[in-house]
Amino acid sequence: MERKSFLKNGFSALGLVTVAPLISSCKKEDAGSSSASGSSSGSTNGTAGGTCTEAPTETEGPFPTKVPSAYVRSNIADDRTGVPIAINISIVNKNNSCAAISGAIVDIWHCDKDGYYSEYGGTGMQSANFTAVHFLRGRQVTDSNGLVSFTSIFPGWYQGRATHIHVHIYNASGTSLKVTQIAFPEGSNSAVVQVNTTASGYGKGMSGYTYNASDNIFSDDTAGIEIGTIAGSVSAGFTLTHTIVVSA
Amino acid sequence: MQRMVRICYRKIIDSAATKPWEKLVWQDSYTEFNMQAQRYNNAGAIAGFSDMLHSNPQAAQLHFLVSSAVTGYIQQLHQVIPDIQNTLGKQFLPLDNFRFELIQSNTGQPSKHVVAINFFSPPILWIDTIGNTLLLSANQYNEAGEMLTHLLQLQPFVSICSIQQQ
Repeated sequence: MERKSFLKNGFSALGLVTVAPLISSCKKEDAGSSSASGSSSGSTNGTAGGTCTEAPTETEGPFPTKVPSAYVRSNIADDRTGVPIAINISIVNKNNSCAAISGAIVDIWHCDKDGYYSEYGGTGMQSANFTAVHFLRGRQVTDSNGLVSFTSIFPGWYQGRATHIHVHIYNASGTSLKVTQIAFPEGSNSAVVQVNTTASGYGKGMSGYTYNASDNIFSDDTAGIEIGTIAGSVSAGFTLTHTIVVSA
Repeated sequence: MQRMVRICYRKIIDSAATKPWEKLVWQDSYTEFNMQAQRYNNAGAIAGFSDMLHSNPQAAQLHFLVSSAVTGYIQQLHQVIPDIQNTLGKQFLPLDNFRFELIQSNTGQPSKHVVAINFFSPPILWIDTIGNTLLLSANQYNEAGEMLTHLLQLQPFVSICSIQQQ
């Protein structure tokens, strides 16, 4: 009775979704363990005769199941707000007549509308908001057409860099094939200008913006190979389409 | 005066891990390290994490980048700090924050992959110190209005990592 009310109160007072002892004992039963949970029965005062008994463990738990990396998802926005953007990247193989590569692993990451990346802060503690800690980072595997698709928000910009999306491409076994970036088209009515001057939440405008020609990553890309194709509008959202050639 | 403390626990996992949760964390973090480290290994010339840091301080990002392999397993803990028990042998510390840390690793030598997960409780009340134990309460009450408490034995890898005096 006392133990029950203790657990009950533990739940409500803490406001937690779960409390370990109860969950663990449930799991133990679920796992089909035939031995009753003797360790929680209370007979733990076995210290007579000058010997001591190690405190019993409540469970062996947790009982984990294998989970993929948190990067493996198509919607990478998490808690970040902004203009929606669909990002479609095709990976083709220079060493195979530019044929699509299926099964390649593609990581992307980019900054939020204010120019910030998800990363560890300097405080020594990281928020346990598991659903948002890796915001705007994602991983997909290319389909038979060499395509991966992500849903995200249009990246903002920060001092010294043109708008961009980072991409890291691996082969199916995780060996790096290329680390690169996708640049955005420019012009008076480009998506970058529309978003940064009119979209709600993107307050920076274009003053102080680093254009591709001055960007220390993209400035040598005079042929525009790294520039993606953008369609859409601030109200309807944008679609970025880009093909990346690798040697695999 | 009330003292609210965050209890922290640094759990170290290496290649000798035998329990399923630890093994999965170890294996998946090593796989992720091998993938992410390719950004810092000078095209394969550097295998050790400490050498990557030495060559490029940006490699410190690997702590964060590799943590993606671990967050799913943190969720499986159901917001309770693992391993650490009260003197009755029950886990009781609520899990608030965590931080994953690469202690050392090497792309060619799995046995050198050692990681730590730092678990942080929310601020809980430190009422008193009794012998080698801390009398703590996570502000839970029973139906009679009594504050429910736990005794936590001082032990290696468990510490008070922050305090608020009110």
